Amino acid sequence: MATANDHASMNKAHDRDPHNCNSYGTLVDDGYKKVSLPVLDVDDFNERIIRAYEEGTAEKSLPADLSVSRSIVPAGTATLRDFSYVAPEIPAYITEECTGCMDCVTLCPDTAILGKVVGENDWQARMDRLADDDRELFQKSWSEPRKYYGGPKKKTGEGGKFSIIIDPSKCKGCAECVTVCDDDALKMVNKTDGLMDDIQRTHRLFKEFGPSDERYINDNLLIDMMLKEETHVYVGGAGSCAGCGEGTALRMMCSATGAKYGNDWGIIAATGCNTVYTSTYPYNPYLVPWSNSLFENAPAYAMGLRMRWDQKGWADKPIWCIGGDGAMFDIGFQSLSRMLAAGANIKVMILDTQVYSNTGGQASTSTFMGQNAKMSLHGKSISGKTERRKEIAQIAMMHPRTYVAQTTCAHVNHMYRCLLDAMEFDGPAVVCCYTTCQPEHGVADNMATDQARLAVDTRAFPMLVYDPRKGATIKERLSLQGNPAVNDDWWVNPKTGDAVDFIDFCRSEGRFGKHFDKDGNPSETLVSARQERLENWRQLQELAGVLGKKSAPRKASASPPPAPQRAASGNGNGRQVGLPSGYQAGAKIRYEGGEGWVDGVLTSVTPVVMRLADESEIRISADVMKEAIALGLVALQ
Amino acid sequence: MAQPLATHHHQPERLDETLEFLKRTRSELRTLRKVRAWVDRIQVFDVNGDYFEVLGVGYTHDDVREILDAVNTAYRPATIQQPCSAPFKEFKTGRRHPWAEDRVM
Repeated sequence: MATANDHASMNKAHDRDPHNCNSYGTLVDDGYKKVSLPVLDVDDFNERIIRAYEEGTAEKSLPADLSVSRSIVPAGTATLRDFSYVAPEIPAYITEECTGCMDCVTLCPDTAILGKVVGENDWQARMDRLADDDRELFQKSWSEPRKYYGGPKKKTGEGGKFSIIIDPSKCKGCAECVTVCDDDALKMVNKTDGLMDDIQRTHRLFKEFGPSDERYINDNLLIDMMLKEETHVYVGGAGSCAGCGEGTALRMMCSATGAKYGNDWGIIAATGCNTVYTSTYPYNPYLVPWSNSLFENAPAYAMGLRMRWDQKGWADKPIWCIGGDGAMFDIGFQSLSRMLAAGANIKVMILDTQVYSNTGGQASTSTFMGQNAKMSLHGKSISGKTERRKEIAQIAMMHPRTYVAQTTCAHVNHMYRCLLDAMEFDGPAVVCCYTTCQPEHGVADNMATDQARLAVDTRAFPMLVYDPRKGATIKERLSLQGNPAVNDDWWVNPKTGDAVDFIDFCRSEGRFGKHFDKDGNPSETLVSARQERLENWRQLQELAGVLGKKSAPRKASASPPPAPQRAASGNGNGRQVGLPSGYQAGAKIRYEGGEGWVDGVLTSVTPVVMRLADESEIRISADVMKEAIALGLVALQ
Repeated sequence: MAQPLATHHHQPERLDETLEFLKRTRSELRTLRKVRAWVDRIQVFDVNGDYFEVLGVGYTHDDVREILDAVNTAYRPATIQQPCSAPFKEFKTGRRHPWAEDRVM
């Protein structure tokens, strides 16, 4: 039997990975994550077991061993996994269009697209140390967006060079990054041998180039979080479907927690998709301790862990308890309720796919009325699920002193704030996140962000934050900020004048496809489902104290909106950004970055650029800006 | 805007030819992203922004529904032909059949 000493290390370049793309460390190189456990030899696990799986000989050549029998996998082994053969396409970066908004890096489900910013003087010095052909190749991956380069250059004299690269060993070709890019800075291209060699070399150079320069990372901008190595606690190599909405949610949760706590926290995961794709032996994408027991007992397991950690003096180390529909809505519901009632300082993340994804898409209590799912099939007599959707957030709110949030990855700032606030809250917290399940929802691989946003806009999945620290009444504690048209039944599309409702959401997904006749008319069941969603929304409005309040009448536009035009200069995207009225170039604004209000000016809307009184500049995408306005982080003076 | 990758001139009595043309999007475009329906043409975009164009038909025409259905467009059939002040109407594509959608369990 081959031993580890017979081959080059799995964490170095070898025959199957000549440019060492599948290696520890996300933005920079790193070694194996060692632990002192008598039953686990991390070096042996990576060198022998991972190698056998990567070479395809594991089933026949590996003997059963202690790590298998005890179900133990070292941290981060998924990083040695190679997915470069999975997809026929891969994103290509177009530097001159990039604005550095970081949407692509944040919303990738697989830690496969990475960003780095380096001061230009240091950048030049590092480039000069490269071989000529390496420098010529690697230079093509660096851009000078105003956010990192132009703004700081004016202020300090030194701009930051910004790079986006693809990790070819982790990309599954879902095209989510291309879809979320508002600036056409990414395109899918066919993989060729020559292209893959260039991408692999570029990735290697990226990792060897060193970490980001933190002078260019604005800690007030949560979306810049993933520029730091310590936030990549969920590495690539998980076995999730291409474009999986859950992957992005887990990455964002791990980033937010890693940013504050490094690797000093842990996860209890309930059985479901999330455990299967993060623990398909021997691949583990987490860099923190993680444990799974059953479908139904994760909150109870977390309670036991919390007590033990508190005994050890680790009360300040967060514990995240992760689960999907089954684990938290249904079979594990009583365990969740018991944990919340106990007041345990445990943070729960619910990955809400509205089905039991892992077992093939059976209906759960979170499934929408009318949805076609296994066990609630759309047939001749019964048209999909007949029951109303259970609203877990509202149930959680009724537990004593529990922080509750309902959010989506499409609303990046909202989600990060919910995660950070949940961790700050001294007590139980529930963060329920809408996550697409592409096979069961009937949407394309690249649709996670679009569908999450549409789910909020159409009241299918309203966002909310319930913070007991905000006051003594539900009305004071509950905020619906972030939802469009909070005071209205439905959001009205300003371009068409049409109310965008739950049926519009249903038209966009295959799981409701059978409800429409050949003329596109919705079934009675779907009309009832629309009413059910409206009643749920009105209930939230009532709880938040906004039911019956009317929005200001909208002025009819005197002329058609202008056709999209290319900006005259800069990295404009030529699209109408749709910012609320009053937010035009030159408008005086103020920004709440966590340390009080700062005055500033909106210097550009395409792209969105805010220059603040402290001479700093914030450059973000239009969608992030709209979200920031909705959250009350940006306002007109 | 870049030129379309392919263009077809729609004839009202030859809808089948237009639908046949749109089948080419499956192999010649990448993942479809959106559709823009103008008064006189329909554009089908993929994630890269490349697009096919069908001239001679717009959102006011009777054939528009079958054309939009052919590329899985999410739109309201009842109002699609109504005039609007914007130069085009934009819709998302991306709907798929769910996995095993006729399975009971």
